[in-house]
Amino acid sequence: MSEPFIIDAHAHTGAMNLFFSPESSARQLLARMDRQGIRCCVNAGGWTYLLMGGREGLEELRREHLESQGRIFYLGVYDPRRGREALAELKQARGWPGFAGIKIHPSFHRTPAEDSAYEPVWSFAAEHDLTVMSHSWSVSDYNPVQVLSLPRRFEGWVRRYPGVRFVLAHAGGRGNGRADAVRMARELPNVYLDLAGDVFCFRLLEGLEREVPAGKLLFGSDFPWLDPRANLSRVLLAGISTETKRRILRDNALEAYRLPA
Amino acid sequence: MDCDQRIEQAGREKREQVERLELFDANVWLGEPAGFPLAAAMDWLELKRTMESYGIRQALVSHWAGLRVAAQEGNRRLLATVREAGGPAVPAIWTGLPLFPGEEGPLPGIGEAPHCLRGVRLFPRSHNYPLADWVLGELCAWLAGKRLPLFLWHVEVDWPSLHALASAYPRLAVVVETQTQKILYQDRPLFALMRACPNVYVEISNLVGAGFLAYAVRELGGERLLFGSFLPVNDPWVSVGLILDAEIGWEDKRRIAGDNLRRLLAGSTA
Repeated sequence: MSEPFIIDAHAHTGAMNLFFSPESSARQLLARMDRQGIRCCVNAGGWTYLLMGGREGLEELRREHLESQGRIFYLGVYDPRRGREALAELKQARGWPGFAGIKIHPSFHRTPAEDSAYEPVWSFAAEHDLTVMSHSWSVSDYNPVQVLSLPRRFEGWVRRYPGVRFVLAHAGGRGNGRADAVRMARELPNVYLDLAGDVFCFRLLEGLEREVPAGKLLFGSDFPWLDPRANLSRVLLAGISTETKRRILRDNALEAYRLPA
Repeated sequence: MDCDQRIEQAGREKREQVERLELFDANVWLGEPAGFPLAAAMDWLELKRTMESYGIRQALVSHWAGLRVAAQEGNRRLLATVREAGGPAVPAIWTGLPLFPGEEGPLPGIGEAPHCLRGVRLFPRSHNYPLADWVLGELCAWLAGKRLPLFLWHVEVDWPSLHALASAYPRLAVVVETQTQKILYQDRPLFALMRACPNVYVEISNLVGAGFLAYAVRELGGERLLFGSFLPVNDPWVSVGLILDAEIGWEDKRRIAGDNLRRLLAGSTA
């Protein structure tokens, strides 16, 4: 039987109060990956850790990495409201097995993406050749805090730190944020877009193949918010070239997160 | 096999399976989409061609004008589409309103229902009325009598009102639609409602939480899930993919893909 090769560049773990999920633990994520032929994934923060931070959350991610036989990589979370402690935790985790970069979430952390409170983490990422992933979205009339994570708000950091690989998670969302995300991925060599989440727009992938350089798009599921099958099938069935599909499903994540081939 | 060959093989296998599903789509739209600035309108011919390219054999067609302009305008445009397409080959979901003497149609419950009518959708929140028996009772009784299902976007309702209405009309099929936002943060009331009311169905274009489909089949039965694409706003491969790869039997996949909707509409007398 062939070895799995797909990389899910954006998943999460952990039960949460926001919704009921039949699957959410690292064990269930791993089982889901096995069923869908996903070789490894990047855990962009366990739910509790994403909201509350703390060394315990990072240690749990390390444990999940080890228990998954190295298949669940993870990002350390930087919440600017507890900047000094968060940075100290990241410094400690930098050499741990499975540590693949840094996650920021301006909307959850109620801090605009351009705020100077993020300076230490960009500087840290640049100094240690780490990838930064951030939540990004469009202006939303039903979720106003999304405005804190508009793609263009990150542009100053990305230009100031051209050596930092930066992933705009959710590719800027469903609305006008996407246009900015696409522009940034075209103009800035260090900007990548992941397809995690419910950005299910018709012919999105066909459009992105034309608009964005081939090495910039990453498959992501946003498990357990979303079932990996939702985005996986649309990549496999999209009207785009096989090479682009392979890049989306594997190659670009290897490059963006410097994962082992 | 290398990666490229496996990708191509996976695509081929999925497309072959799609053909065997005999998809009947509960959720395709004509007109200019409301609230989706990057989505483009399609006319009927373009929509039909697009559906065919995704293996969608049949569909219930709705019109955005029924939401954004007036129920009557959306229904008029659907009637015109049906006429242009040559008759009942275009089954439609009309937009409904609470029934008031003197209001002119075309509206469901007023005058003769056209042959194309296969369901009615309400927008209580957008159209400024409560989802309540004392407002909608006459229309609900008419729908139940004609055995026409009632379609509701989850973003247009509150759950206690929906529970009360579905309980008050057990012979009325109520289809909860998972647009225009994914039904995730509302999954606890959705699943509880479906447990409590056997006449409630769910359309799956945005029922996308991890493991939701297999869970719903296991806990609620495979007869109450309906395939929808939400074309031309959404990519049909999302919900098709969820069906194809679900850990459920082939018969349940076919039920969800189309047989459930065919069965639901079989008894309608419009």
